[in-house]
Amino acid sequence: MNPVREFHLTREPIDVPRARARLADPSCGGYAAFEGWVRDHNEGQRVQHLEYEAFEPLAIKEAERILGEAIERFGVTHAACLHRVGDLAIGEMAVWVGVSARHRHEAFLACRYIIDEVKHRVPIWKKEHYDSGDSGWVNCERCAAVANEQSHGHTHPHAHGDPQGYGEPDVHQPHGLPAPDYSRQMALREVGPQGQARLAASSVLVVGAGGLGVPVLTYLAGAGVGRIGIVDADRLEPSNLHRQTLYALADVGRPKAELAAQRLRTLNPAIAVEVHAVRLDAANGAALIAPYGLVIDCTDNFSTKFLLNDLCMQLGRPAILSSVYQYEGQLQALRPDRGGSCLRCIWPEASRDGLVGSCAEAGVLGPVPGVFGSLQALEALRILLDLPGQLGDELLVLDLTTLTLSRVRARRAAQCHGGACARLPAAPGSGARPAAAASQAAPLEVSFGSLLEAARGGFTLLDIREPPEVRAAPIRGAEVSHVPLRQLLGGEGALEERRRYLLICASGRRSLAAAQELRSRGFAAVFSLSGGLAALEAGD
Amino acid sequence: MNVRVQYYALLREQAGRSEEAVATQARTPRELYEELSRRYPFSLPAEMLRVAVNAEFGEWSQPLAEGDAVVFIPPVAGG
Repeated sequence: MNPVREFHLTREPIDVPRARARLADPSCGGYAAFEGWVRDHNEGQRVQHLEYEAFEPLAIKEAERILGEAIERFGVTHAACLHRVGDLAIGEMAVWVGVSARHRHEAFLACRYIIDEVKHRVPIWKKEHYDSGDSGWVNCERCAAVANEQSHGHTHPHAHGDPQGYGEPDVHQPHGLPAPDYSRQMALREVGPQGQARLAASSVLVVGAGGLGVPVLTYLAGAGVGRIGIVDADRLEPSNLHRQTLYALADVGRPKAELAAQRLRTLNPAIAVEVHAVRLDAANGAALIAPYGLVIDCTDNFSTKFLLNDLCMQLGRPAILSSVYQYEGQLQALRPDRGGSCLRCIWPEASRDGLVGSCAEAGVLGPVPGVFGSLQALEALRILLDLPGQLGDELLVLDLTTLTLSRVRARRAAQCHGGACARLPAAPGSGARPAAAASQAAPLEVSFGSLLEAARGGFTLLDIREPPEVRAAPIRGAEVSHVPLRQLLGGEGALEERRRYLLICASGRRSLAAAQELRSRGFAAVFSLSGGLAALEAGD
Repeated sequence: MNVRVQYYALLREQAGRSEEAVATQARTPRELYEELSRRYPFSLPAEMLRVAVNAEFGEWSQPLAEGDAVVFIPPVAGG
């Protein structure tokens, strides 16, 4: 067996039998241990309880160095040390050192060396609470000096979260790196060590590190999924923070994929986290998806969702799609591996961004993507661990205001066979049917200084806003027909083939979506006023 | 004929409710949606929605029956 050389900080009481068992070795004839306890007095004052705080990254590094020195200097076989952090009562064990060796002599020496050096060199602070009500931090000068050098910029030595668990034999740490204690999930009969090994061997691509992506990433990293890819091209904005709980205000402006990766590596150093700070598109999509076994769609727009759907169906990758809207959301598992239905079996026409509202437009309560991201993580684990209850050919629709859950069966469309959906457009993800592709060559958006200018340029002007919007801000100074979006797309007030239409809305978003939709239905001469009425007003 | 109707997302907002019992003459989901469109300011045409009848995606032209549970579902994309 490889030499054990382990140091862990722990908030839990030290489990000596378990720690000792890590040192057992048929080649060893002796084991020496030291336990340090919290005593009830120090320098004449009565102590009620103690608090330990560590500058963790440095403490771990320095303590591991000490263990290595002891092994080398005294020729012992295994050496380990556990140190508590947090609040301790009188009589509790604060530190444990264990050494096993061929003979007792070197075991005693190494044990003594380790405890002395740890107390001297490792940056762990002790706060004593006295009977008098006073308290004071006690630490050696040398470790304070070292910590200050190393922690330049750290205002608080405990900024790195919980210490790692310790002593768990790990079947799933290929690099011997510290990892979370997976015992709580391994205790599930359906998971066990085999399930844990399965997770360690699996790979997942998470597309979008936002409201849905954050819980997905956190749970999968915590669960020990061996390789996680993160695709996100955005930088953190202050408006993300109410629902994207992995990030901090101080992170604003930094790339989210990198921020998320940084957090996940802190959460679980034993897994591989891969950053793809790009927007997934038709050109890079297949190359991004292919190296992963499972894909999770945490995007916020239709065009990427349909593109992901198409690529996963073509590449045979299972995927878990979710979308949220205000207080509700939808969840669908794509199982090309089981001949399942896809997004286009439910929505044969690629939906258009801009018609039904994104988080930015429609608003969303923070925990809503939290719930749906958690459901995605749950489904991912069910698939990876092959647990019962996996989603079938269905769309799960959950309204969190009323807690109404609909599971709607979604059969595979007749045109969709064997994981190669016949409804796919020729160019995956273009969102347009092949027949309409040529007509998309003309630009969709056009700009004008005024509507009069557009009318003189030969455009028939269509105001597609809702009636209350038109009443509140009517268009003056040009001849404009009012055809609300719904009537327009519903085919009322049919468009004439020989005219050129300019669609107008408040911001240019709905008009763009409508123009895309109409182009895809074969109307070539439909354009959107870029930036909408807001752009005209701004230009005044 | 009485049916139970549920609304999601944009439709829930525009209808101002999550669900309701509807007494209707409509023979198909399409007729039902048209009827409800006269009552509520729905902005999406039926073509952009899916209808589910009794927990299964259905066709706009399929017959409705007494007691059916009808759900109008728009696509959503937020994340």
